[in-house]
Amino acid sequence: MSTVIWDDYLEKLIESWRKEGEPSRTVSYLNRLRANALSRIESLRLPTIRDEEWRFTDISSLRNTLFPRASTASLPGLDSQKSTFLDEPTCRLVFVDGQYMPGLSGLTDDGSIIVCSLSELTGICASKTEQYLGQLADFQDDVFVALNTALMHDGICIVIPANVSITVPVHILYITSGKEVAAYPRCLLVAESEAEVTIVEEYVAWQEGVSLTNAVTEIYVGESARVNHIRVQREASQAFHIANNSTFVAKTAHYDSVNLALGARISRFDQKITLAGEGAECQIDGLALIADRQLADTHTFIDHASPHGRSRQLHKCIVDESAHGVFSGEIMVRPHSQQTDARQLNHNLLLSEKARMDTKPQLEIFADDVKCAHGATVGQLDKESLFYLQSRGFAEEVARNLLTYAFGGEIINRVIVASLRQRLEEYILVRTRIS
Amino acid sequence: MSAALQNLVNQPYKHGFVTNIESDIAPKGLNEDIIRLISSKKNEPEWLLTFRLEAYRRWLNMIEPTWQNVKYPKINFQNISYYSAPKPKKKLASMDEVDPELLRTFEKLGIPMHERAALAGVAVDVIFDSVSVATTYKEKLAEVGIIFCSISEAVQRYPELIRQYLGTVVPPGDNYYAALNSAVFTDGSFCFIPKGVKCPMDLSTYFRINTEESGQFERTLIIAEEGASVSYLEGCTAPRFDTNQLHAAVVELIALDDADIKYSTVQNWYAGDENGVGGIYNFVTKRGLAKGRNSRISWTQVETGSAITWKYPSCILRGENSVGEFYSVAVTNHHQQADTGTKMIHIGPNTRSTIVSKGISAGQSNSSYRGLVRITPTARNARNYSQCDSMLIGSQCGAHTFPYIQVQNNSAQVEHEASTSKIGEDQLFYFAQRGIDAEEAVSMIINGFCKEVFQQLPLEFAVEATKLLSFKLEGSVG
Repeated sequence: MSTVIWDDYLEKLIESWRKEGEPSRTVSYLNRLRANALSRIESLRLPTIRDEEWRFTDISSLRNTLFPRASTASLPGLDSQKSTFLDEPTCRLVFVDGQYMPGLSGLTDDGSIIVCSLSELTGICASKTEQYLGQLADFQDDVFVALNTALMHDGICIVIPANVSITVPVHILYITSGKEVAAYPRCLLVAESEAEVTIVEEYVAWQEGVSLTNAVTEIYVGESARVNHIRVQREASQAFHIANNSTFVAKTAHYDSVNLALGARISRFDQKITLAGEGAECQIDGLALIADRQLADTHTFIDHASPHGRSRQLHKCIVDESAHGVFSGEIMVRPHSQQTDARQLNHNLLLSEKARMDTKPQLEIFADDVKCAHGATVGQLDKESLFYLQSRGFAEEVARNLLTYAFGGEIINRVIVASLRQRLEEYILVRTRIS
Repeated sequence: MSAALQNLVNQPYKHGFVTNIESDIAPKGLNEDIIRLISSKKNEPEWLLTFRLEAYRRWLNMIEPTWQNVKYPKINFQNISYYSAPKPKKKLASMDEVDPELLRTFEKLGIPMHERAALAGVAVDVIFDSVSVATTYKEKLAEVGIIFCSISEAVQRYPELIRQYLGTVVPPGDNYYAALNSAVFTDGSFCFIPKGVKCPMDLSTYFRINTEESGQFERTLIIAEEGASVSYLEGCTAPRFDTNQLHAAVVELIALDDADIKYSTVQNWYAGDENGVGGIYNFVTKRGLAKGRNSRISWTQVETGSAITWKYPSCILRGENSVGEFYSVAVTNHHQQADTGTKMIHIGPNTRSTIVSKGISAGQSNSSYRGLVRITPTARNARNYSQCDSMLIGSQCGAHTFPYIQVQNNSAQVEHEASTSKIGEDQLFYFAQRGIDAEEAVSMIINGFCKEVFQQLPLEFAVEATKLLSFKLEGSVG
């Protein structure tokens, strides 16, 4: 994306934004950030399959619709959304079509967690987030991050103060109403030193429809802090979902994430993790379960920028019917990041003749005293396991479904929020047709 | 004596015409006139000129690739002379005049005395010697119907074969450097193994290179007909102190039903000095087409030389049950760069491929494995296994792995694994305990690391490759 071409789609898009008018009442550094992002867009263009990072994900159909930004979201009744809420007590933050809905949100906490929306960013929240907001997710080379940043006036900032451990999960619910609109939700999570938190980001559709979500989440994990991040994408079957996630892990901090891509016609998830401090660790797992003509693309980049870092990654794809799974996982070990220990595994299951999988695990290593390994497989269900189950009286189809479920179950088991895990298990059971 | 042999016997006198060749050097630069000149000098048929011109016109419209993980200053293609022996070797009177550095290298590699002289370009009678050797082999080959000659000779003598196969595996517009090669290639090898013939000996360009000056733009074409088999060795294991900048060769292999081609390379072109000055840019397109049922193409390469190695010997597995193999060791030291790997394109059902790649980086060098395994929808029950291991020696080098796996068939089984390691202190300590010094210990560990690949090499190559490696990494540990 180095060529400087003024993209006509982006031109029209920005034109339409200008007509909608600018929001007022925002802090000055936000205005500056947005202006920078807007001017950067002028020298970017939408990626095509000729760009290496997008060669398997054709988003040209996105050009067919100039998704307008959602205006005042029509508030769905609180009751109608209850089914998507978690059973456990949570700090719940709800977005509808990319707009933060304080009315649907609710905090069940003693007040140690600091939450504020970008539109009313003031006081302590503003000062605590200034050095992170828009700084972790780099918009220079990514048009979608730039678009999101340019529109950053609604969104949420969460700060977990130092030494605070939040016992209830923070549930961020992004609801798509089903209208032909674009949502640009933005979220920043700052876990200060030795803080602990579990955050659940869930993308759900209220009803079917063609929509676009372009989400950006920034996470800062302070010294010795722990963040557990669960991300569930269950968008409508015709939706476009593009998400960027940038995480910065400080010294001896720990970041865990589980990413589930289940919905959307075309989904793309970019996850960048910088192990910036000595002894930082991360474990990132993912599962894409797709069928029909879905395309799920996961790009991860783990940057070992300090010595003694440790990373673990397990990504799985189950691809059925004419779906297309894409995985690209890069592990970078910078010079002087000695004693790095990185391991990456990618297993892919193709269930039908027309299913397609493109995978590209990559290692880039510039330090010699390191342990790095990656593995990737593409295949079908093990014939011997199938035979074993059949010999125990399972019908072939049941045996197949059971094995498929077990393949995905390994990732689902890593979701530590009980009610969510249960809901996901049920969902996978239905998808793998075990009744 | 056939005309081919007659030609060959006469070859050594070519050096007598050195002055003649020199006066023949075409002006620097590349344009259609130069290509016409090359073609007419070589007395080529009209269709070959058309082939060259078409490639040239496509090349003009191509953009130099930039995706590779190697860096080099922009090449000025107008500053190269496309018709001439790139650098006629000066004849030396005796071994005393040879660069002592070169002699030391020969010593280390254990190359026989007369071969050393030949490689350093000393006495002419020695070359006579090796030609007589080559001649005996040629007679033996001709008895079973094998054609093994230079590609220019083949164009004159077997134009119908060349026309049938040239450019069918690597089309003229395949990539930037292949297009350039197709336009200006001057020489190379041609090898044809007729139906049912098992080649009685390993064929090697080694014998040929002694007698013919190989250009920067070589073109190699090997055809194995039904049931034929051949083992082909390329390159010399001794260093060629050549300062050519760009070496853009094209190698095409074609295996018909039940045919078997094994292509081994030990590449040790000049790599530049310790500071990364000079050295060859080795930008080569190598591709094999396993066209027939049960055919097999196997690439084995030991890449130790060149300032930049950038090539992906590939297999197109079109025939049912065809097999592709790639075994590679790439060693980089000082400022060398390597971006190498393979492509396995599975088209036919039950096709199988194996990739074993070992990269060793030392000094300030960078070595990348880049590979593609593509299983197309027609490749039912295709199977691939890939393994790429890297070893880093020193903290300033880099090792990179970029495998692409593209599967469009659910009956395929594809596995890829990669690891990175270094030589452990405990390993060296263990050797030291047994009275083996660090240098030797490293050499043994590395040979163990590369064993799977060396096992694929013909015996004498394996011995030399082992020596070459320890020589190459000398002084990089400690």
